[in-house]
Amino acid sequence: MHTAHPGRPGGFLASPAGRALARNWAACFLLIMLVVFSLTGRNFLSIVNFQNVVHLQTLPLLLAAAETFVIVTGGIDLSIGFVAGLASVTAATLMQRLAAAGMPAGWVILLGAVGALVLSLLPGLVNGLVITRFKVPPFIATLGMWGIANGVALKLCEGFPVAGLPEQLPRLGNGYVLYVLPGSFFSLFDKPESFSDARVRELWRLVPYSLPFVLVLLGALAFVLRRGRFGRHTYAIGGSMDAAIRAGIDVDRHLMGTYVLSSALAGLAGVFNVFQTGIGNYTTFSSMYELFAVAAVVIGGASLSGGKGRISGSAVGVLVLAFMENGLAISGVVPFYRYIAVGVLLVVAVVIDKLFPDLF
Amino acid sequence: MVNARANEIASGRSRLGAFLGGRWILAFLVIETVYFCFTAQGFAHPNSAQILLFYGVEIFLLAVAELFVIVTGGIDLSVGYVLGFASIIATKVINGLAEAGLPPLAALLAGAAATLLVGLIPGLVNGWLVAYLDVPPFIATLSMLGVCHGVSELVIHGVYAMGLPPLAAEVGSGHLLYWVRGGGFSFFTRPEVERGTEVFELVPGIVVLAAIVIGVLAFVLSRTRFGRHVYAIGGNRDAAIRAGIPVRRRLLGVYALSSLLASLAGLVYALKYVSGKADAGAGSLLDAIAAVMIGGASMFGGSGTVGRTLAGCLVIAVLELGLRMSGTPTFDKYILVGAILVLAVIVERYLQQDRK
Repeated sequence: MHTAHPGRPGGFLASPAGRALARNWAACFLLIMLVVFSLTGRNFLSIVNFQNVVHLQTLPLLLAAAETFVIVTGGIDLSIGFVAGLASVTAATLMQRLAAAGMPAGWVILLGAVGALVLSLLPGLVNGLVITRFKVPPFIATLGMWGIANGVALKLCEGFPVAGLPEQLPRLGNGYVLYVLPGSFFSLFDKPESFSDARVRELWRLVPYSLPFVLVLLGALAFVLRRGRFGRHTYAIGGSMDAAIRAGIDVDRHLMGTYVLSSALAGLAGVFNVFQTGIGNYTTFSSMYELFAVAAVVIGGASLSGGKGRISGSAVGVLVLAFMENGLAISGVVPFYRYIAVGVLLVVAVVIDKLFPDLF
Repeated sequence: MVNARANEIASGRSRLGAFLGGRWILAFLVIETVYFCFTAQGFAHPNSAQILLFYGVEIFLLAVAELFVIVTGGIDLSVGYVLGFASIIATKVINGLAEAGLPPLAALLAGAAATLLVGLIPGLVNGWLVAYLDVPPFIATLSMLGVCHGVSELVIHGVYAMGLPPLAAEVGSGHLLYWVRGGGFSFFTRPEVERGTEVFELVPGIVVLAAIVIGVLAFVLSRTRFGRHVYAIGGNRDAAIRAGIPVRRRLLGVYALSSLLASLAGLVYALKYVSGKADAGAGSLLDAIAAVMIGGASMFGGSGTVGRTLAGCLVIAVLELGLRMSGTPTFDKYILVGAILVLAVIVERYLQQDRK
C-alpha cells in the first residue's frame, strides 16, 4: 500500500513457530473454538453434531472453493450465490417436468442434474467474456450476473420452491455410508429393512455421502491449485498480471477458465442442494452466500489483491463460520453474534495479511 | 487504463467525452420512459414521476452515498445493512421517547437526530479501517455489513421493530401540497373532504428532504475543496498525498458521510413503512452501485458526478415502476438492471477510447 508500512514483526512473530501460527491462525482459532464450545455446549462435542455441521456446509464449502480460484487471480465473483440458486431451480424444474412426463426416476435425476450443471457453465462464460474481452472490472461484471442469475431463477420458479421431485433425491443426498445399532448390528448404505423408521434415531448414522464427495472434490481442487499447471498460472496471474503475460501465459483464456470453473462449482453446489433438500429451493439463496464465501476465503488466508490463498484455508474459513453458528446455538447464545464475529475475523485476517505480506 | 486517465487530464477532463457520456444515459432514460408510456397502462401520467421519486428515495440516497466512496476508488458494501440498522434505531428510539411521555413531534425530532448520530458510527469505523489500518474497502465494509446485521438482529431479536406514533406515518407519507378537485389547495395537511371528492397529493415531503440533501452534496462534490480532494484521492492517491491533501482524514470523512446518508435512508424507510427491519436495505446494494456505474463513474475512482448518478437512479426507478405497471413480475427488473449495469460500463469504456 501507499501509506506507511506497518512495522515488521520481530521476536516471536518472526520465528518459524510464530510464522506457522500466523499462517494457520484460522485453524488454531477453529480448534480453540471447538474446545470452548465443547465446554459450554451440551452435546456439542459429538460425532453426530460434527458430521451434521460438515454435511450442512457442503454448499458453502463448494462456493468457497469456487471463490478461492477467482480471488487468487485477483478477481472476485459475486454471482456464485445466485448461480447456485439458478442451478438448483433449473435442476428441480427439469426433474419436475421429466418426472411428470413419466420418465423413470433414475433418468429424471441424472438428466436434471447434468442439465443444470451444463447450464451453470453459461454464467461463467459470460462473466469471463465480459471481463477479458470488454475489460469490465470483475466486481461489476459479476454483480451484473448476480442480478441476472437472481432474476432468471426467480422467473423459472416464480418465487416458489419447486416441489414434486423424485423421492429418491433426499435419500441420496442425505444418505450415510454406515448404519450401526451399537451392540446389535451394522449395515452399509441403508438401514436394514426390518428396522422400523420410527426407531431410526437410535441408529448411529456415520459418514454422510456428502463427506467423501466434498473431501474428494476439495482434494482434487487443492491439487489442481497447488500442483497443477492451471494452479501455477492462477497464482502467477494474481501475483502480477503483467509478469504473467510476459511469461507467455494466455491470461485471457486462463481467466475465462477460472470464471467458468467458479460458476460450474457454484452450479454443482446448487444441484447438490436439490439432493439435500429434495426441492428446488430458491429462497435459500438470497442469504448472501457469495459474501460469506468471500469472507471464508479471506479468513482462510487469501488476499483480495490476488496471488494468495489455499483451498484448505478456505475450507477452514467455512468451518470457522459454521461452528461459530452451531456452537453459539448449542450453548444457548443467540446466533446473531455470528454476523458480528464474521466482521471481527475479517479484520483480523487482513491485519495478519498486512503483518506477514510474504507468507504462503 | 492509466493512459486513458492521463489523456483525460491532459485534455482538460475532455468535455466532449463527458458530453457524449452524459447524453448517452439521458437518451436511454428518455427512450425507456417513452417505451413504458406506450406499453405500461397508466404509466403516462404525471403522478408516475411522483410515485417513482417517492418509492425511490432510499435508492437515491444510497446511490449518492456510494458515489462519494466510489469516486475515492473504494466501495461500501455496508450501506444496505446500515440502512436496516438505522431503520431499527429510529423506530426503537422514537417509540421509546413517545412512550416516555414526550410529545410526538419532539420524540420524532430527537429520534431522527439520534439515528443520524448513531448512524455515523459504522462509517467512522469503516473509514478508520480503510484510511488508518489500510484494510481494503471491500473487506472493511463487508465486515461492517456483518456487524450491522448482527447488532440489528440482536436489538430486535429477529423480528420487526414497530410501534411508531401516528405522526411518523404522517411525516413519512405526507405531502407538501394537497389539491382538492374544484376546491382549492391545502398546505401540509390533508384537507377534510366529503367522500368521493378527489384529493391530489403533490410533492411528497421526504422527496423534498432528499432533494435538498442531495443538492447540497452535489454542491459539495463539484464546488468545494472537500469535493476536489475526493476526486484527487480517487484519481491518484500518491499524487494526492504529495499535493498535501490530508488523504486519511478525507477518507474517514467520505465513509462517515456514506454511512450518514445510509442512515438518513434508514430513517426515511422507518417513517415511510412505519417499521424497521434488519434486512430492509439488503436488496438495495445492487441498485445503488448500479446507479453509480450506469451514471458513468469508474470503479477505479476519480470520476462520477451526482447529476449523472441521479440519471442512473432514474433509469432503474423508471424500469422498476414501468415493469410493475406492465404487470411483469419484478423478477425482470433484476435481470435488466444486471444487464444494463454491465452494458453501461462497456459503453463508457468505448466512449472513453473514442476520446483518445
